Amino acid sequence: MTVIKLTSQDGKPVEFVPTLIGQGGMKDVYFSPDHTYVVAFYRDKLDHASNERLQAIVGSFRDGIFNRAGGDYWQNLFRWPTGIVEWGGRTGITVPTYQSHFFFEHGSKNDDMLKIKGREKEGKWFSSASNRNSFLDPRELGTWLSYFRICILISRAVRRLHAAGLAHSDLSYKNVLVDPAGRNACIIDIDGLVVPGKYPPDVVGTPDFIAPEVMATSRLAKADPKRFLPSITTDRHALAVLIYMYLLYRHPLRGGKVHDQDPARDEELGMGERALFVEHPTDASNRIRLDQVKKSALPWADAARLPFTLTGPLLAPLFKRAFIDGLHTPSARPTADDWEFALVRTVDLMQPCQNHTCQAKWYVFDNTVKPTCPFCGTAYRGLLPVLNLYSSRKAGTYTPDNHRVMVYDGQSLFPWHVNRNVFPNEKLSGDQTRRVGYFRLHQGIWYLVNERLPDMKDLTTGKAVPPNSHVDLVEGKRLLLSTEEGGRVIQVQMVVG
Amino acid sequence: MRRLPVYLLIDVSGSLTGEPIEAIKNGLHVLLSTLRQDPQALETAYLSVITYGREVRQVVPLTEISAINLPQIAADGITPMGAALGLLAERIEAEVEKTTPTSKGDWKPIVFIMTDGKPTDDWRAGLARFRTVKVGNVIACAAGADADTSVLREITESVISLETADKGTISAFFKWVSASISVSSQRIETGGGEGSSLKDLPPPPPEINTVF
Repeated sequence: MTVIKLTSQDGKPVEFVPTLIGQGGMKDVYFSPDHTYVVAFYRDKLDHASNERLQAIVGSFRDGIFNRAGGDYWQNLFRWPTGIVEWGGRTGITVPTYQSHFFFEHGSKNDDMLKIKGREKEGKWFSSASNRNSFLDPRELGTWLSYFRICILISRAVRRLHAAGLAHSDLSYKNVLVDPAGRNACIIDIDGLVVPGKYPPDVVGTPDFIAPEVMATSRLAKADPKRFLPSITTDRHALAVLIYMYLLYRHPLRGGKVHDQDPARDEELGMGERALFVEHPTDASNRIRLDQVKKSALPWADAARLPFTLTGPLLAPLFKRAFIDGLHTPSARPTADDWEFALVRTVDLMQPCQNHTCQAKWYVFDNTVKPTCPFCGTAYRGLLPVLNLYSSRKAGTYTPDNHRVMVYDGQSLFPWHVNRNVFPNEKLSGDQTRRVGYFRLHQGIWYLVNERLPDMKDLTTGKAVPPNSHVDLVEGKRLLLSTEEGGRVIQVQMVVG
Repeated sequence: MRRLPVYLLIDVSGSLTGEPIEAIKNGLHVLLSTLRQDPQALETAYLSVITYGREVRQVVPLTEISAINLPQIAADGITPMGAALGLLAERIEAEVEKTTPTSKGDWKPIVFIMTDGKPTDDWRAGLARFRTVKVGNVIACAAGADADTSVLREITESVISLETADKGTISAFFKWVSASISVSSQRIETGGGEGSSLKDLPPPPPEINTVF
C-alpha cells in the first residue's frame, strides 16, 4: 500500500493513501491508512481570504469550541477540520471520519434494492416522504421521537456556532448527517463557515434552504449593499426548514402557487420575494395540491390532515414565527436556542401511541381531554397522568413553570424535571443526566418510584417519600420533589381516555 | 413537486456493434444504479431513452428513476438523427407538463444526444421540429473520430467529444451524465440555474474533451 506522508501546518504527521475515495463539489477526498480521518484536497487554488478562513477554522475557532471545559461534547456533533496540509501545490484539510452509525446498516427495502447499504445517511433520504415510504428499509427510519432528538442535536450545534459568532452558511440535509435508528446527528462541511463581516460566504446555499432575502437578491453583485448573503439570520431560516422537514417530511414553502410561467423564474419568486408558507392561516394560495404530489408522499403532503400544529404548543408558535412573521423579516426568526428549548420541552409532552402498528409510534399531547394519535387516529385508552410543574421564586409560594410532563409506563424522571435551574444540554455533568425516578402502571394504578430524591414529599398527605419507595398518582395530588433552590412541586391531573 | 425530465438520445447504428454497444448498455445500467443511490434524483428526476439506428424508438418512456426497466438494445442500421430529434420533440410535447397560470409544470427537460457518426437523413427538418419545444440544457456527445461535431454544434453549443468510442470513454461519459443529472436535480432549483451551457455541470472527466 502506497502511503503519502506529510506534515500539517501545525507540525503534526499526516498520512493518506492516494486512492480517491470521493469527490465533493470542491474537494477530492482520500483516507488515512487507518481510516480514522480523511484528507480532502481543494481542486482549485484557494484565494487569500479562503486560506485565512481555513487557518481560523482549524485554529482559533476550533480551540474556542473544543479546547475548553465540556469541549468533548461537541466532537460528536461536528466533523470539524483538524489541520491543513499542502501536497503538490494543492491545499488540503484533515477531517475525522464519519462515525459508523452514519452509514446505512440495512439500506433500502427488498434486500437493499437501491444498493445503498454502507453509504452515508444523507439527510435527504429521511426528510422526503416518498423516499421514506417507497425505498428505505423500515429499520433505518426510527420513530417520530428519533427526529426530535435529531433536531435537538442540530439546534444545539447551530446554537453553539452562533454563540461563537459563526454562521454555517450552507445548512441543508446534504451537510447534516442523521442516524434516526440510533438518534444521532452531525454537522459536516464546516470549512465553509462564515464569520460575518470578516470572511464572506462562497455559496448562496442549497436550494430548499436559501433564505428568501438571499434568493431575492441573488442576481445583484456580491458587493451591492442591497444584496443579502448567508449569515446567522439566514442560518435560522435554514434551521427552521430543516426542523419542519424532519418532523413533517414536506417543504414549508413548496406549494401549488404559480408565480411565473417559466419554471426557473417561478422558483426564484416562490423561494424568494414571494415566498409563502404552505400552511399560512389566512392566505391559502400556496397550499400543497394533492393532485400534484406523488402518491408516495402521502399522508405527509396532506397538510390539512397533518398540520404543523401537531408538533405541539411549544413548536407551533416557532413555526409561525419562522414561516409567517420572520419569513421576510429576518430579525423575527426564532434562534437556534429557541428551537432547542421548545424541542426539549416538547419531548416531555410526548406519548407512545397505543397502536403497535402505528408508524410514527409517538405523538405530542394536544392539551385536550381526549388525546388521539394524529398519525393513525388511535385514541388514548385508560388513565393518563399529566404532571404540571411549579417552582418557587419566593419562599412558601409555588408558581406554574408553564411546563407539563406526560407520563407513560417506564418513563424516567430527570433532574431537569426536579429543578427549574437545570436544563438538559451539554453543560450537564454525568450525574445530572441520570434519572432520579421512574413511572410505572401496575394493576391499573400509576406510581412514581423515587430512586434518588432525598427530600421528596407527598404534600397531600404530608408523608415523606424517601428513595426506594413509591407514591401513587391520583387527580389533584401534589408532590414536592426537592427543597433546594429552584426545586419543584408536581400537581397531578388525570386524563380519562 | 416539479419533475426534472431527462431525455437520452442514443445512437445504436451498426458501426457501434461489439464493444461500443456493450459499453453503452453497461453505461445505461451504471447510470441508473448511480441515480438510484441519490435521494434527490430519486425524488425529482425522470428519465427517457430514445434510440436511433435501424429504427427510431422511444425504448424508455419518461419514467421515474426507480421504476425503469432497461430494454434490450442492439446495434444495427444507420444514423437517422433527424427522425430521432423529431420523435424527441413529439415525446417532450406529450410527456413534459407545461406550467399553466394555475398549475406548476415540470422543469425544462435536459437532453443528452450521443452519436458516433453523421446523420443519414434530413437532420435539418428534425432539428427545426426540435426547436419548437422548450428545453433546458442540451448536451451533445461525439463519440469517436467519425462523429460529425459540426452537425452537433448546430444543435447545441455544448458539445463534448470522446476521442475514441471504446469501453473506457463511453463508461466515463455515462458517469459524467449521471453526475450532471445529480447536480441538476439539486441546483436546477436555484434561481437562474437553468442555463444552457456546460458551466452548470460538473467538469467532464479527463477522457472527454469539450469542443472549442
